Amino acid sequence: MMRANRLVIAAIALSLVQIGFLSWMIAGRAAILRNGAEVLLRIQPVDPRDLLRGDYVVLAYDISQIPAAVISNVPEGMTVTEEGPIYVRLAKGADNHWNAVSASLGKPSATPAPAGEIDIRGLMPGGWSFSRDTSVRIEYGIERFYLPEGEGLAIQNDIRERPFSMLVAVARDGAPQIKALLDGDTVLFEEPLY
Amino acid sequence: MASYAVRVKHDIARWVERGLIAPGLAQVLADDIDAHQRKAFSFGSVLAILAALLFAAALLIFVAANWEAMPRLWRVGLVFAALGAGYIGGAVLKQRDHSAFAEALWLIGAAGFGGAIALIGQMYHLSGDEAQAVLVWCGGTALAALALRSGPLTVGAVVLADAWLAMLALDFWGSTPFPYEFAAVALVLWAVSYWTDSKVARHLILLSLDFYLVLLAIEVNMFVVSVLLAIASAAVFAFAVMRPAEAERIARLDGRLALHGLIGFLTGMTVMQFGMIDELGALVIGAIVSFAGIAAALFFGGRDSRAVRWIAYLGFGCQLVFTYVVTLGTMLGTAGFFLLGSATLAILAWVIIRIERRVNAPAAPEGAGA
Repeated sequence: MMRANRLVIAAIALSLVQIGFLSWMIAGRAAILRNGAEVLLRIQPVDPRDLLRGDYVVLAYDISQIPAAVISNVPEGMTVTEEGPIYVRLAKGADNHWNAVSASLGKPSATPAPAGEIDIRGLMPGGWSFSRDTSVRIEYGIERFYLPEGEGLAIQNDIRERPFSMLVAVARDGAPQIKALLDGDTVLFEEPLY
Repeated sequence: MASYAVRVKHDIARWVERGLIAPGLAQVLADDIDAHQRKAFSFGSVLAILAALLFAAALLIFVAANWEAMPRLWRVGLVFAALGAGYIGGAVLKQRDHSAFAEALWLIGAAGFGGAIALIGQMYHLSGDEAQAVLVWCGGTALAALALRSGPLTVGAVVLADAWLAMLALDFWGSTPFPYEFAAVALVLWAVSYWTDSKVARHLILLSLDFYLVLLAIEVNMFVVSVLLAIASAAVFAFAVMRPAEAERIARLDGRLALHGLIGFLTGMTVMQFGMIDELGALVIGAIVSFAGIAAALFFGGRDSRAVRWIAYLGFGCQLVFTYVVTLGTMLGTAGFFLLGSATLAILAWVIIRIERRVNAPAAPEGAGA
């Protein structure tokens, strides 16, 4: 009987640990949505096939490709990219959208971002050839937009023709979080905190 | 395995009838079978596990449907409820001796954990880390196996670790680094499998390690890794055959460690020969070593294990075909292929008949050595 009771207690503890861990994940994301600095990013036109793939659309942003020349701390003689974090500094352009102005491999640039600029964290995939005059591809972890079932049709024509925008919240450590999908000034989908 | 118990009981009844054993001993034997039968997998528990897997699939598809009619927090709450109800309900059922349904409910709990991770990814549009999400799921499942001392959950954790390995390692064109850490994951799960007493998990881990080493060979060096795999496997086989008691104490696989030694050896030799496919000399040596290994496996381990025999026959047949195709059969036509198939089967049949006859011959009764 003692052993049996202990099993139930173990099961309760296990449930609390796992639910606690999941809640911590949710809380972290909600905190970015609540407190993160907002940047508006330009989305590149979507391959219509992605809309047929099912429940989400794969997105690419203007800042998904940045010129290698803006990376400040490229190691001497690097010809192939090595997978690792990259911090891209964004500044607001004339059209309210934010663009990459500089980038730093591995860790954020030593000089903190001045007012009106924000560092966003991305991942540079490894194994691509690299030279100063090419551009590099960066993944930010916001390249996927889950659409409610059946609502992909509503936007599939427009998103092919004109670039949409994404409002993204960026945490202090550079982690980005999708906040709202916009067509021009119209908000199409806005994310609640939870 | 239910049929085994039934067969033994038939045998016992016949022995009593013939006066070979006393009825009292027969009762003791039957009781012993019943006592061990409970631990084995019955058809009912298999169905219960299948039911749990279906429920888990329903849960995951429910998450994937992204059903807006139900507010998000409700969906999260629902998945959390499935998680808690699975783990705690399973523990209560275990307490009441409904072991099969308990294990099934625990699987639902673990599926709830994975479903919640997927749901959070969907809620916040996270992308790019599917493999890592599967690894976190694997970790949660292993933790549950540890806390609840559950064999099926241990197996579940191994399957998830394999999924993680496949997602990273089979992505040849992607930029993801090779998951060397799988070796450590396998080691941890192996340790967990002792605590949860899960032989199935240990079998699966050994097969997964073969798979991992094949991928590692492709990634690092075909020749070196595959030869090392073959040598290490041969050593495992030798250890399992020469010191069966100690091997059983370490591996606790019902004496099937030798089988894994043979599978690993054949895997290593296969990869090695594929790597050397353009070098005839190495291929000939590889084929000779492979045939010698198979013969040795049959000679030293074949008598005690039908599984070892059948894997050896399979390896023999494949090696025969492979060697013929790469060395002689470059102009192989369809007719030639059928001719080859027929010859292979005939040779195989001849070998199998001879060996099975020897094994089944009323030769020296099993002594202390083996």
